[in-house]
Amino acid sequence: MAEIGRVRIRIPSSIKAGDIVKVRVLVIHPMEIVERKDGKPVDKNYRFINRVIVTYLGKEIVQFETTQSLSENPFFSFAFKATEPGPLKVTFLDTHGGKYEGTADIKFS
Amino acid sequence: MSGMPTVVHVTRRRLLHGLGLLGLAGAVGPLLGAPRPAAAQGNLANLFPEEPVDATLRRLFGGRPIKDGSSVMKLELPLIAENGAVVPMSVEVTPPTQGYVKSIYIVSDRNRRPMNVKFNFSPDASLPFVGTNLRLNETGDVRAIAELSDGTLLMAKRQVKVTVGGCGG
Repeated sequence: MAEIGRVRIRIPSSIKAGDIVKVRVLVIHPMEIVERKDGKPVDKNYRFINRVIVTYLGKEIVQFETTQSLSENPFFSFAFKATEPGPLKVTFLDTHGGKYEGTADIKFS
Repeated sequence: MSGMPTVVHVTRRRLLHGLGLLGLAGAVGPLLGAPRPAAAQGNLANLFPEEPVDATLRRLFGGRPIKDGSSVMKLELPLIAENGAVVPMSVEVTPPTQGYVKSIYIVSDRNRRPMNVKFNFSPDASLPFVGTNLRLNETGDVRAIAELSDGTLLMAKRQVKVTVGGCGG
């Protein structure tokens, strides 16, 4: 559990300017699901990621509104057009106020 | 005459004291009582409601017509998911000639809370392609609904057979 919030980003090894880049991101997170007791859902503050924000060159490119119906240690893939070299930053926000970030440097080769 | 100001003075002090206590109680009450509202986003009241899929679609899109988008949407899902807790899913939409794909909703019919995830895209920088792992409760349809910038809704769906449900008891 100590690993909660570790973010891994995978980008293609070689990127050219103007390429469509497919990125895979993974975060270590329990994504708690609703517990039931005698058939009734238990009301508590479940811990799961409810927002993912991806920025490239400081500009938001995609944003996900997620729920508990994503699996534990969720992964996301998405695509964007690499126009300039620069940082790609992925931020995960969870319901307990946790904020987990990962960055990858987009470089052209 | 000399007695009057004293009486007024006492009353005012009492009044102020009383008010002060009230104010204190008002300030402390919320701190001790209710859980921190900003942090408690995971409570049941803040989740999407448990409802049949028709109600979800009505809540999300009102009565707007949903067109068949299977010709421009590529929804990839396994035919049989042995483990409902991890079902890989990806969806790709051919960009429309005008405008762009604003968001993609993933709705699974047989989950208790059918609304699964919403992906929002930006007009220029991103492409309408996403993938993730879903949790599915039991065998049923999974729908991907794309909302274009002009408000058109397109849908593609696929049935997934789930051997072991992924949503717990």
